[in-house]
Amino acid sequence: MKIRLIFMLLFFSTLGKMYGQQNCNSYLYKGDSLKYKACLVSERLAGLYQFSKEFQEVLDVALSIDSTYDYAYRAKSVGYLKSGDFLTWKKLIDKAVIYNPIENLGYRGWCRYQFFGDYKGAIEDIELLDSLISYDIGTSANGDYHLNIARALSYKALGERSKAIEIIETQLADTTHFVGKYDYLHLGVLYLANEECEKALDLFSKQEKENDFAENQYYIAVAHRELKNRSEYIAHLEKAIELYKQGRIMLDGYTHIADKIYLSEIEAELKKAYATSG
Amino acid sequence: MVKTVLLVALLFLSACSSEKEAESQADYLRWVGDIPYDPDFDKADFKLCHGDSNARQYFNFGQGFQYEGEKLAMVQEFKNSYKPVGVDDSGLIRIRFLVNCKGESGRFRVIAMDNNYNEMVFDKRITNQLLQITKQLDGWKILPTIEEPLDYYQYLIFKIEEGNILEILP
Repeated sequence: MKIRLIFMLLFFSTLGKMYGQQNCNSYLYKGDSLKYKACLVSERLAGLYQFSKEFQEVLDVALSIDSTYDYAYRAKSVGYLKSGDFLTWKKLIDKAVIYNPIENLGYRGWCRYQFFGDYKGAIEDIELLDSLISYDIGTSANGDYHLNIARALSYKALGERSKAIEIIETQLADTTHFVGKYDYLHLGVLYLANEECEKALDLFSKQEKENDFAENQYYIAVAHRELKNRSEYIAHLEKAIELYKQGRIMLDGYTHIADKIYLSEIEAELKKAYATSG
Repeated sequence: MVKTVLLVALLFLSACSSEKEAESQADYLRWVGDIPYDPDFDKADFKLCHGDSNARQYFNFGQGFQYEGEKLAMVQEFKNSYKPVGVDDSGLIRIRFLVNCKGESGRFRVIAMDNNYNEMVFDKRITNQLLQITKQLDGWKILPTIEEPLDYYQYLIFKIEEGNILEILP
C-alpha cells in the first residue's frame, strides 16, 4: 500500500509540472496582448499530464492565438524529449529558441547533452547563450549542474579533457557558484584520468563532505590503487558496495549520469583487489 | 440592412476562427509516444497486463531504467552481439517498445536521424541488428509497484558513428 502511494505521488507529481509558471500579466505590461491571451490559455495546463493529448491540445490553442509563443513550443516538446523522439522534439524546441533564444538556449543545450549525447550541439547552445547575456547562464533543467559544468562534461565527452578541467576549475573558483551535486567528483575523475591522484583525492574528499555516494568511494579506491595504498583501496571499495546497497548512488530518473559506476564494476574491482592484496 | 451585413460578417469571422482552431488540432494519441498494436508488425501473443490505457513510462517510477545487472549488462549484450557495418551512416537510432508486467517486451518501433536531427534511413544491416538484439534482451525488470506490476514504455537510443555503436542512451 505504501509503495502504491509512493508510485502515485511520483506519477502525479509530473502532472502539469512546467519549467516555471508564467506570469501572464508580464505580457500585458510589455503591451503584448496576443501573448497575454495565449498565456491565459496555457493556464489550463494545470493538472494535465505532459504526455497527454489534452496537454498538447491546450498548447495548440495557445499557439493558434500567438504562433510566436515560445513557452508553448517548449512545453509541447517535453513529452517528445522524454520519449526519446529527437525528431519532433528538435522541431518544437527550435521554434522556442527562435522566438526566445535567451530563455531557451540553455535548456536546449542541456537536453542535447542529457538525452541525446549531442555534445557539440550542447556546447554551441551554451556558448551562444553566454555570448548573448552579461549575467549568469544558469543551471541545467534538473538543477544538478551549472551549465558551465555541463559544457565541461561535453568537452570531456569529445576528448578535450584539459579544456573540461579548465572550465570546471574556473566555475568552482567563482565565489557566486553553488556547488552542484557531483561537481567535485567530475573534476576528480578528470584528474584521475590524468594520473594526478593526489589532486583527485582532494576533490573526492570534498565530494565526500558535500554529498557522498558509492561512485565517489569507488573513485577514491581507484586513486589509492594507483598510489599503492592497498588497505585504503580495499576499504573504500567495501564502503562503495555498502553505499550502493543503501541506494546512495548517482541516479537520474531519466538518463544515466556521466562517470556513473555500476555495482558489478565495484564488485569486480574488489575481487581483483582481494586477489592481488596477498 | 446594416444589421444583416454585420450578422453575415460575424458569422464569417466566427467560421474562420473555428476553422483556425480545428486546423491546429493534430491527431494525437492518448500519450506522446504511445504504440498501438499493429497486426502487420507486432506479435499477437505479446499482451499488456492492464491494457493500453494503463501503460506508463519507465521514469514514472522514479528509479531510472530497470534492467537486471543494470545498464552495464544491457550494453554488454550489444558489445557481444553487434557486428560493426562498414558504411558512412552516422546519427541516432531510437527503438521504443513496451515492457509488460511479466518483463516481456514487444511492439518495437524505430526512428532515426543524422547528426543534424534530420530524419534518415540507416543501412538495414545496422537497424536490423539493433532491432534483433533489442528484441532478445530478457533482463527488463518488473517495476516495483506493488502487488500489481504495471506495463511501461521503454526506449533505447543508439549513437552510431560510421556503422559502429558509440554510445547507448538513456
